[in-house]
Amino acid sequence: MCLGCVSRRDFLRVAAVVPTIPSVMRVRGWARADWLLIPMDDAQAEHLKAYGHTFRAIQRGVKAEWLLNYRGGSFLLPSDAAVARDAALNGITVEGLSDAAVTQIRGEIATSNMDAVPLEKAPKVAVYVPPFAAPWDDAVTMALNYAGIEYDKLWDIEVVEQGLKTYDWLHLHHEDFTGQYSKFYLNYAGAPWLAEMVAKNREVARQLGYANVPALKKAVAQKISAFVERGGFLFAMCTATETLDLALAAENVDIAASYADGTPMEPNAGARLDWSKSLAFQNATLELSPTTPVYSDIDGHQVNSADRRQQLGTFTIFGFSAKIDPVPTMLVQNHRDVIPDFYGLTTSFTRKTLKPGVTVLADETGAPWVKYIHGEKGQGTWTFYGGHDPEDPQHQIGDAPTDLTLHPHSPGYRLILNNVLFPAAKKKELKT
Amino acid sequence: MRLAVALLLVAGPLAAQADSLNRAFDLERRGNYGAAVIAYRAVLKNRPADVSAILGLERSLQPLNRTAEMVPELSTALAVNPSATALYGVAVRTYGAAGMSDSLRRAVDRWAQLAPADETPYREWGNALLARRDRTGARSAYLAGRQQLGQPTALAPELAQLAVLEGDYATAAREWLLAIRKLPGYRSGAVVTLRPTPDAQRAAVLKVLQDDGSPDAQRLDAELRARWGDPIGGFERLVLVLPADPVESRDLLRQFTEALRGNPAPAYRQAMGRALEAMAQRSNGAQRSRLQLDAAQAYLDGGDRASARRMLASLAGDGSTSAALSASASGTLLRLLVDEGKMDEAERSLGQYRGVLSAQEMAMLTRRVAMGWARAGKLDRAEALAATDSSVEGLALRGQLRLFQGDIADAVELLRAAGPYAGTREQATARTSLLALLQPIEEDSLPALGMAFLALERGDTTSAAAGLASLGAGRPRNRGGAELLLLAGRLEAARGQAPAAEKLFRAAVDTTAPATAPAALLELGRLLAGSGRGGEAVPVFEQLILDYPRSALVPQARRALDEAKGAVPQ
Repeated sequence: MCLGCVSRRDFLRVAAVVPTIPSVMRVRGWARADWLLIPMDDAQAEHLKAYGHTFRAIQRGVKAEWLLNYRGGSFLLPSDAAVARDAALNGITVEGLSDAAVTQIRGEIATSNMDAVPLEKAPKVAVYVPPFAAPWDDAVTMALNYAGIEYDKLWDIEVVEQGLKTYDWLHLHHEDFTGQYSKFYLNYAGAPWLAEMVAKNREVARQLGYANVPALKKAVAQKISAFVERGGFLFAMCTATETLDLALAAENVDIAASYADGTPMEPNAGARLDWSKSLAFQNATLELSPTTPVYSDIDGHQVNSADRRQQLGTFTIFGFSAKIDPVPTMLVQNHRDVIPDFYGLTTSFTRKTLKPGVTVLADETGAPWVKYIHGEKGQGTWTFYGGHDPEDPQHQIGDAPTDLTLHPHSPGYRLILNNVLFPAAKKKELKT
Repeated sequence: MRLAVALLLVAGPLAAQADSLNRAFDLERRGNYGAAVIAYRAVLKNRPADVSAILGLERSLQPLNRTAEMVPELSTALAVNPSATALYGVAVRTYGAAGMSDSLRRAVDRWAQLAPADETPYREWGNALLARRDRTGARSAYLAGRQQLGQPTALAPELAQLAVLEGDYATAAREWLLAIRKLPGYRSGAVVTLRPTPDAQRAAVLKVLQDDGSPDAQRLDAELRARWGDPIGGFERLVLVLPADPVESRDLLRQFTEALRGNPAPAYRQAMGRALEAMAQRSNGAQRSRLQLDAAQAYLDGGDRASARRMLASLAGDGSTSAALSASASGTLLRLLVDEGKMDEAERSLGQYRGVLSAQEMAMLTRRVAMGWARAGKLDRAEALAATDSSVEGLALRGQLRLFQGDIADAVELLRAAGPYAGTREQATARTSLLALLQPIEEDSLPALGMAFLALERGDTTSAAAGLASLGAGRPRNRGGAELLLLAGRLEAARGQAPAAEKLFRAAVDTTAPATAPAALLELGRLLAGSGRGGEAVPVFEQLILDYPRSALVPQARRALDEAKGAVPQ
C-alpha cells in the first residue's frame, strides 16, 4: 500500500493512529511502511495474541501471509490502520516494512526451507464444551480467549442434531467418548461436580433417545468422524484423542464399565475392536479395571496408574520441508524446538499403536511414545496433541485455570494456535 | 592370637557390610537415586531383612517413581523376618503403589495381628489407597481400623482430612471433635482445615459444633467464627467456656487473639480488646498492666473509646505500673483525647508529660495534638504547636497545615523539604501524590482548596469531594483542574457514588493534561468494569492504550482490558 493511493479519509484515519503505535514501528518508519511484519521469534512480545491478531485481520478481509520457518513462523500483513490499532491494543510487536524489504524477505524464503502461505478465510471455529462446570481447565478455550479468537460452544445435542455442518474447525479437549465420565465415577463418588456431570449426560442421552451415555458418546464420535471425512479440521487434546478413537473402534462392542451402561465391559472386547473406523490408533490393549482412570495402552505415560506411571521429559518438534509439506510445517511453527512435557489423562501416544501413515509432529527422543500427531481422513484432517495444559504440567482436579498473561510466549500453547490458523491457509497452496 | 584372628575374620565382613550401607546412604543423600538403589540391593543380597536397607531402597525408588519394583526384595524380607513390624509399613506402601490389592490387605492383617492396639496399619492402608486417589477405599480402611480397634476416636484426624478432601466439612468437623477429645493439640489442625469451609456449608459446621456442645466444640466454634468474620460472636462463645485455671484460660485467649491479629477491621480490633482485657483480668502485676494497655490501644483502634478509657483509668489506678508503661499509656490517653476532640485537655496533658517522656515521644505526641487542633478548625493553635518542630515529620505536618490554610506556595515548599522519608511509606506516597496535584496550580493561595483538604482530614469525604469537584471544574484542565477532578472522582468512588465518580473521571480525561488523563481513564474503566459494565469499559481501556502508549499505566490497562473481555480468568 502506498500513501499516494489512499483516500484522504483513509489517510487521516491512518495518521490519527500514528502516535499510538508501538515504538518499534515508529523506529522503522511505520508511517511510510507498505507492510507489517509480525515477527514470531524472540522479538515478539505477545506470541499467543499474535495469532488472534492475524485471525481477526483475516476476518476483516485482509490477505495475510504465514511466513513458514521465517523468524519463528512470522505473519506478514499489508499496512493497515486497523491492523496497527489491534497490535497496539494487544501489545503485539509489529515491524513496518517497505516493498523493497518484503521483496528481500521473499527472496530469502525462495532460497531456503521456508515458504509463504496465504491466509485468506478465517475458519469458523467450534469448541466441544459440556454445559456444566468441570473442575479442570481447557487449554484451547483459554488460548482462544486469550488470543481473542471467536468461537462457538457446542455439545452433544448440537453435534448429533446439526452434525457440525456450519463449522470448519472443531476442538475437543478432556472429553471421554467412551461415556465413562473420565473413569472418575468410583474414585470421586459423591463429588458434586461428578454428580452434575453424570446427571447432565444421562439427561441428554435420554433426550436424544440413546439407551445410555456410552451409546450417546459413540454417536457423537461418529458424527465427528463424519465431519472430518467431509473436510473438517479436527484438533483434539488430552483424553479426547484416545477415547474418540476407542469409541469409533468400539462401534459394536461394549467397552464401558457397568456404572456407565449397566453391564460390564464385554469379555474379549479388545479383540473385537474395529480399528478401520479409528483415526489415529490401532491394536491397542484396553484397561480392564473400572476404577483405574486409564483407557488403554495408547497413552504412554499412564498418569493415573500408580505402577505404570512414567515421568515427564521433554518433547522435540520435528522439522519439515516447508515447500513440500506445508501442512505439518504450519502445525509446528514455533520459536522453540524442545518443549517441557505435561501430563493429561492421555499424555502421549505409544508408537506401537499408531496407524501407518500417521505423521509424527513431535516426540520424546528415545521414548516409546510421541506427543503430537497429524493425519487425514477423507477430505479432512485431524491433529492430536497429548496432555492437558502446556503450562501446568501436573494439572490436578480443582486447580485454578492457567493465567496466560503469565505465559505470553508459551511454545506449548503456540502449537494449539497453529492449528487454529492452519485451516485459514489457501487450499490450493497445500501439497499434502 | 587365635581369638584375634577370629575377631578379624568376623569384623572384616561386618565392616564391609556397614561400608556398603554407608555408601548407599551417601549416594541417596547426594540425590543419585539410581546408584543408591543398586547399592541398597547389594546390601539386601547379603542381609535380606535389613530394615535400614529396605527403608533406604524405598526412599530411593520413590523419587524415581519405581516404588513398585521393590516387591521381590520386600517379599524376601518378610519371609526371612515375618515379625518385623517396621517392614509392614513398607509393604503396605509398596503393594499399594503396585496395585496389588490382595497382598496389601494381607500385609495390613498381618501387621494388625502383630500390633493389635496400633492404628498405624490402618492409617498406612488408607494412605496407600489415597495415593491411588481411591477415597472410597481409604474411608473403608480407616473405618475398618476404627472397628477393629474398638475405639470410636481412632483415625479421626485421617477421616476428618478425607472428609475435607471430599468437600464434606460437617463430617470433617464431627471427626475433628473426636480427634481433639483424644488429643487437644489437634485443634490447630482442625482450625486450619475447617477455615476454608465454603459459605454454603458454614452453618452446617457450626450446627455440628453447637449440637455437640462440649467445651472443645465451643472453642472450635469461637475460633472459626473469628476467622469467618464474626470475631465478637466468637469471643462471646469462648468466654463462656473458659476454664477456671487462669493459665489455661490465658492460653486459650492467646490462641484466640492469633485469629484476630493482622485484621484492622473495627470488629476485629474490638474483639482483640475484649480478649486482651479478659487476659488482663487473669493476670497480675506488670503483665496485667501491659495487657490492659494493649487492650486500650485495640479498643481505640476499633473505635470503642469508652472501653479504651476504662482500661486506661484502671491502669492509672495501678500503683505498680512501670515508668515505661506509663509513658506508653500517656500516648494512648493523648490519642484518645485527640480522637474525642478534647483538645484543651489533650494540650494540658501534653504539658504534664514534658520531662517524663523522651524528646522523640514528646515531638510525636505534639504533632498528634497539632493535627487534632487542625481537625478542630483551630489552625493557629496547630501552627503554634508545630512551629518549633524541625524534623522531617514536622516539615510534612507544617506543609499540611499550610495547605489547610490555602497557602499553596508554602505548602509545596514544606512538603518538598520533608522529602520522601517522613512518616510511613503510605504517608510518603500520599505526600508525593499531593505534591503532584499541587504543582500544576499556579496560584500561591487558594483557600477553597485548603478547606477541601481540611474536610478530607476531618473525614468529611462528601464536602471534600464537592469542594474538589467545584474547584476542578472551574480551572483549566492543564493547570491542576484535571488532577482535582480525578481526586474528587476517586473520593466519590470510595463513597460508593459511582455515577458522580464516573462523571468526574470523564471530565478529568483531557488531552491538555496528558499526565492525568491515563490515570482518569484507568479509574473510569475499572469503575465501569466493577459495575458490571465491562462492555463500556473496553473502549475506555483501549483509549488509554492507544492515546497514551508511553504511559506507565499501559500494562495495567492491557491486563484490565483482557479481564473486561474475558480473555483471562479473573
